[in-house]
Amino acid sequence: MKTRTLRAWSWVHKWSSLVSTGFLLMLCLTGLPLVFSDELNHALLDEVWTPADPDGAGLNLDQVLAVALSRHPGDVPAFMSFDEDRPVVNVTSRAPDAPAGQFNFQPIDQTSGEPAPLVAGHPVIEFLLQLHTDMFLGLPGMLFLGLMGLLLIVAVVSGVVLYAPFMRRLPFGTLRLDKAARTRWLDWHNLLGIVTVAWVLVVGTTGVVNTLATPILAYWKDTALAELTAAHDAPAAPGEWASLDAAVDRARAALPGRTLQFVAFPGTEFSTDHHYAVFLHGDTPLTTHLTTPALIDVRSGQLAAVAPSPWYVKALSLSQPLHFGDYGGLGLKIVWALLDLATIVILGSGLYLWLTRRRRAS
Amino acid sequence: MSRQDLSPGTIFRMPLVLALLSLTGLVGALLADGVWDWIGTALLATIIVTIAWARLGRRR
Repeated sequence: MKTRTLRAWSWVHKWSSLVSTGFLLMLCLTGLPLVFSDELNHALLDEVWTPADPDGAGLNLDQVLAVALSRHPGDVPAFMSFDEDRPVVNVTSRAPDAPAGQFNFQPIDQTSGEPAPLVAGHPVIEFLLQLHTDMFLGLPGMLFLGLMGLLLIVAVVSGVVLYAPFMRRLPFGTLRLDKAARTRWLDWHNLLGIVTVAWVLVVGTTGVVNTLATPILAYWKDTALAELTAAHDAPAAPGEWASLDAAVDRARAALPGRTLQFVAFPGTEFSTDHHYAVFLHGDTPLTTHLTTPALIDVRSGQLAAVAPSPWYVKALSLSQPLHFGDYGGLGLKIVWALLDLATIVILGSGLYLWLTRRRRAS
Repeated sequence: MSRQDLSPGTIFRMPLVLALLSLTGLVGALLADGVWDWIGTALLATIIVTIAWARLGRRR
């Protein structure tokens, strides 16, 4: 490689890394406990609980919704999701004038309508997740972190290019532990950087895709779902809404063999202003992560469309497990955490190498 | 390139093998359950094993 080309790549590597390192360190540090968020939520929140009336008929979804809204008068429903291992329906609602992102979340015992204990969403975990997702800045924060993710990809690619000239006389895996600190850390930086390259690129790229969730869903609504909303002028008021329970039954009938995951109410980012969006997922390991929404006209209660997700929504859905590493059991999570720690060392050693070089130069 | 220089093929052979193993692990664990979760974890863990080998081997 010519000296000039080498300098150019070195410049790209230095600046793409320097600009993003602080934010990437924050993402790695907050991401570490988030890898184990299920286990941490379980440990922090778990309490012995049994449904009030396990053999009873139970409440239908309209009744559950009414109970939830009666505890937060004036709220409008946003989402409804369903626990897999207990008869609990989770209702997310918000006050019409609440700031963006501020919701009320209620797990409700479907056998009685009584509140059920939380099994997810411990405040500490939620704080870390919010910091990791958008630094409490909403969409601008998400997009900014997406930009940092792009810089990470540039840093990784330029790092791979620079790896060859650095390693042209050293066998793979060399760690000169008896040399000066700078040489030792350079060897660690090169080794950890090159062995984790595929994993870091996957986690970085999927992280960037995740930061684009809001624009991706908005584009999906404006294009694929536009025809469905063209016939309506104004959103239907909650008093005009058809039965939710019947809407979910229609969605299940339209997508047999799938599992109900959640319902997005009209006006949320996962639905239109005129439909219940009932999301069902498949039962294979892959399709568990891929949801298909059945859109039910909120006024008539009739099935309006089954809207198979376009490729970009599927990419978004698959980016979530591939970013958080929560799809292959505890063993995969432990390896994920170790690789996260390795990335922290790469970032720290890169910063150290830059600082020592500056000191030497001055 | 001097006579002692390693070829790009030699330099990138092991990193390429590790990248292929880890990508196979990442995708395999996503596409299938059960034993594939363990195979995927093991394939991804080859990175950790390599780091340990380099550290414990103290190669120069």
